[in-house]
Amino acid sequence: MDIGSFIHGSLHTYLIVSLLLFIGGLSTVLLRRNLLVQFMGIELMLNATNLALLAFAKWRGGDVTGTVLYLLIIAVAACEAAVGLALIIGMFRHRRSTDTDGANSLRQ
Amino acid sequence: MFLAFALITLGGAFALLIQRNAVQAGLCMMLSFFGMAGLFLLLANPVAAALQIIVYSGAITILFLFVVMLLQSHREEPSAHPRYIQKILSAALVIILALGAIKLVQSSKTLADIQAASPASDLITLEKLGERLFTDHLVALEAIGLLLLSAMIAAVVLIKKEA
Repeated sequence: MDIGSFIHGSLHTYLIVSLLLFIGGLSTVLLRRNLLVQFMGIELMLNATNLALLAFAKWRGGDVTGTVLYLLIIAVAACEAAVGLALIIGMFRHRRSTDTDGANSLRQ
Repeated sequence: MFLAFALITLGGAFALLIQRNAVQAGLCMMLSFFGMAGLFLLLANPVAAALQIIVYSGAITILFLFVVMLLQSHREEPSAHPRYIQKILSAALVIILALGAIKLVQSSKTLADIQAASPASDLITLEKLGERLFTDHLVALEAIGLLLLSAMIAAVVLIKKEA
């Protein structure tokens, strides 16, 4: 690892950025209490895996299959965002709050 | 360029973590997605960069901000219990995970081999992507179409008011 790979990027540095991004999303889920912000953390974690996937695809000689998988992943992420936000709205109707500390039982 | 985009991406993620206001947290997430689109460009993958900006920075962020404003829950409510021990434990866990991940990547021999043996890569174009998508991965494409339709119906059913 030299300075040049930090400035211009190598497989290692891309993976380090991806891992740090994943850990940032994970800590958002762990430390924050607002359900919407936690959901944003989940999106960040999904994106971190995308970055690792495309970095590996680049260092396999520009493999197109990596981009195909990326396309499928963002479609699944869009589905997940739509259904998750619908669930959050449903929970807000019941509890009048998006705070996860109070949501400690499955029924009211 | 790599350093600039990596700092934008990680800075957006860190700002999301410490931001108190949910709307501003959503904008921080958008910044992080833009930085990632720049990283995809540097990976010789303009298709993924365009998709990232359209789907993530555009559609998903707007959806999030729309729900935040609809529910009017910008502020985090003050917690009933301080929960210091849990906060310290999770912060320590996160720091240990980050340091361990960096150490693991730096000391990995397999990664160094992949980096050394990589063939020259060329630009990924929409033409190549479409060709691969509609020959080898046609079933997956159709399945994703069905999944999007079912997610749309599920979202509508979930938020429909009971008659």
